[in-house]
Amino acid sequence: MKSGGMELDIVPVSGELNVGPQHPGSGHLRIFVKLNGDIIEDAEIDPGYVHRAVEKLGENRNYIHLIPLVERPAILDSVNMNLGYILAVEKILNVDVPERAQYLRSFAAEISRIASHLYGMGILAIFIGHSTGFMWGFGDREVWVQILEALTGARITNSYIIPGGVRRDLTPAIIEMTKKAIAFQRKKIKDWERIFLNNPNIKARLQDVGVMTREQAIEWGAAGPNLRGSGVYYDARKSEPYGAYSKLDFEIPVYKEGDGYARTLVRFEEIEQSLRILEQVIKDIPEGQILSDRFFKQIPPTRLKKWWEGQRRIVMPGYYASFRPPKGEAISRVEAGRGELVYYVVSDGSAKPYRLRMITPSYRSIYVMKNLLKGARYADLVSIYGSLDYFPPEADR
Amino acid sequence: MNILFDIRYYILYPSFFAPIILPGLIFTAILLLTTIWFERKAAARVQMRVGPYYASKRLGGYLQLVADALKFVFSEVIVPDGVNPTLFALTPVLVVAMSFLPLAVIPVSVIPPSGSIFSIYFYDFYDPNVGLGVLVGLFTQYNMLLILAIESIYPAMIILMAWSTNNRFAIVGAVRESYLSVSYDVLLLMSTISMALEYHTLDLVKIVQSGVPGILANPLAAVTFFIAMIIGSARFPFDIAEADTELVLGPATEYSGLLFVLTMAGSYVGNFVYALVFTDMFLWGWYPLSGFPGALLTVIKASILVFFSVFLRSVYGRYRLDQALRGSWKYIFPLAIASMFLGLVVGYLWIQ
Amino acid sequence: MSEKPIDVVAKLLQERKIPLKVEGDTRGSIEVDKSKLVETARILKEIGFDHVKTVTGIDYPDQSKFQIVYHVSSFDLQLSRVILALKTWTSYKEPVVPSLLSVWGSVWTGERETYEMLGITFEGNPDMRRLFLPEDFEGVYPLRKSFKVKTEGLFVDKSS
Repeated sequence: MKSGGMELDIVPVSGELNVGPQHPGSGHLRIFVKLNGDIIEDAEIDPGYVHRAVEKLGENRNYIHLIPLVERPAILDSVNMNLGYILAVEKILNVDVPERAQYLRSFAAEISRIASHLYGMGILAIFIGHSTGFMWGFGDREVWVQILEALTGARITNSYIIPGGVRRDLTPAIIEMTKKAIAFQRKKIKDWERIFLNNPNIKARLQDVGVMTREQAIEWGAAGPNLRGSGVYYDARKSEPYGAYSKLDFEIPVYKEGDGYARTLVRFEEIEQSLRILEQVIKDIPEGQILSDRFFKQIPPTRLKKWWEGQRRIVMPGYYASFRPPKGEAISRVEAGRGELVYYVVSDGSAKPYRLRMITPSYRSIYVMKNLLKGARYADLVSIYGSLDYFPPEADR
Repeated sequence: MNILFDIRYYILYPSFFAPIILPGLIFTAILLLTTIWFERKAAARVQMRVGPYYASKRLGGYLQLVADALKFVFSEVIVPDGVNPTLFALTPVLVVAMSFLPLAVIPVSVIPPSGSIFSIYFYDFYDPNVGLGVLVGLFTQYNMLLILAIESIYPAMIILMAWSTNNRFAIVGAVRESYLSVSYDVLLLMSTISMALEYHTLDLVKIVQSGVPGILANPLAAVTFFIAMIIGSARFPFDIAEADTELVLGPATEYSGLLFVLTMAGSYVGNFVYALVFTDMFLWGWYPLSGFPGALLTVIKASILVFFSVFLRSVYGRYRLDQALRGSWKYIFPLAIASMFLGLVVGYLWIQ
Repeated sequence: MSEKPIDVVAKLLQERKIPLKVEGDTRGSIEVDKSKLVETARILKEIGFDHVKTVTGIDYPDQSKFQIVYHVSSFDLQLSRVILALKTWTSYKEPVVPSLLSVWGSVWTGERETYEMLGITFEGNPDMRRLFLPEDFEGVYPLRKSFKVKTEGLFVDKSS
């Protein structure tokens, strides 16, 4: 460039940064970032560092043995992971689930959703340097995890939902705990709004960052809160009600902005909706069995007496050990915490699935994140990552 | 008793006392631990945690910091391949040295002609501007400029440190630091100059002894200086150069062990230095005390400022580089110009 | 709602002469030859099926064939109740299928994964590289039935 006799060389300031897998802001993921100055020109996402080979192992395990496996990829949201798989298996088996079990499934799934959202918000907060949000997210989550522990016996990886019903019944003590937790969470959300959502610093970091238009969200196949943050009204709980959702009254929060802040707001409002669902479940839950009669009859009477009558627990009937569902295939979808979760199970009549396909919401976020990162600033990498609530083990499966 | 007297004479000699004991090396080291302890404890209180606790339950876990420091001192220093080991080891030391150095020229108190333990040095550190001695390591009448000049070397050392580690994250962090240092140095200088114009002096002692606290005389300059101080010492929400989730640890990425402690200490010491200048310039420093109590008053005020700025961690996240730069050039810079104008007008009307 | 959601779709597809196999109220499947895959996909997109939920490759070693299943659905209020399976076949000898990336962007991840796991190449997808597998992964195409998972015994043998 010539200007006034002086020669001026403009040197392009570009380079590559290898973010992860050993990096505080990457999780189990490698993002190969091509930078031009502060702008990301291209981002190559390299997942797979926590690949569990769920699909391959799925072909080598009996149906019932897969329950602990499929919930491992997203241990924070294991109830939903478990539920989706069971729905697909039940479709092949053609089982009716009793009403009370349906309500309990919704109950556990919503607790899991709240816990998952709080975890995601905590990670988002620490990604943009807000350590209080991080600690609060994890601290608030503890309350819900303890309810899950009381209900299912495990904090995470609950394996609560089994074909035909659920494993344990709701007790008055758990209802009391949940009522307290709902009141606590409502109070905490007000605090969250004060220190996190209305914090000018957080707004500056999230607003107009990682903007995804409605068309882009549909084209890239975004899922869950990320989709709803871009103005698409879609929720698997409404489109194809499972559990007790057809009888429960709740709303789907949708924001049009499509930026990180909208996605965050969607998550917070979903927590509020989940609290509403929990209240309704506690109020409306019908009495009755928690396991389909078809399987319940197979439990030996002595064991029934010991476990069911005393502690309202289900012991697995022998049928479960290696049942052979009829030939066929089923696709199920549930709305997990991070978005729509799809299971596709193909059965060839043997005790093991012929093919198990598991599409998790974070898996669908890979392409979304790759596209959103292009043209963003380097410092926005973490806020886009966090606001998508991308969870590497869930994406890798 | 001659020897004891001699020892007392040399220990209390301001050129030794100020840089080494108060507010220098020893006090700053204690303050450093206390600040980090306070930072962790205060953040823990906000975040529904306990914070450091088990190392000494009665002291609220204060000794945890000592244990951490010991652990760092004895852990291995890893020198990466392909760096110049001398520079690699030297630069953190330079960083700390450069951040400590201004402590030698910041006046922390005045020495009255009689009645104070420092009174014997009255004539050696005599300040003709106020007619009193000054408790300071090295007295010059232009100490405001000297402090800022020395402190502005500090970011250059950070950049050198990043350069010598030959790490990409460190270099990105260094670039961020250089962007920021330009913006906050300008703000610091402008608010200082506006105070100088207002008080007709470049001597901090005269500003304090004038009897009018700077925060009343020129509140705009105080706001500007405070924000520049937060940016300059890399406190939240301007923890941009070290942004751990983006840049691992910015310029300090490759450091471990003792060298890492030094790199971390630099920013805390820098914060303390700015806080001392802020106290002298805007918060009335030691006034109306003098001698040793005056020095204590000054450092206590400065410590509270440091505590406040570390507490911001539990309230704020981290701004983006461009947002911080836009903020400082678009909003704070005009404020600095306004403060200069205010200083000019008030200084013209108010002839001391 | 008297009409089943799938019937609406069936009617729309009948007009465009695409055979739809109805499998329940909200499920259906279309089996096409791979040469007609892109064409069918475009028609589906015209109707309103705007995204792909999964891309699944299934290995049938006894027939020496792969089946590729695209589960297509929509974010539209009515159509979102339906999931259509768009199925096609390809042989071991020529494991190549035209990519649907030009029709639906959301197949990107699924096609890449199917490529690395089953060795099916999607013609027209520029990113036919490994995604999840490590660079030094030994053995090829882990989701083929010929790939056996090495299992460790429950007890460690003493003989070694």
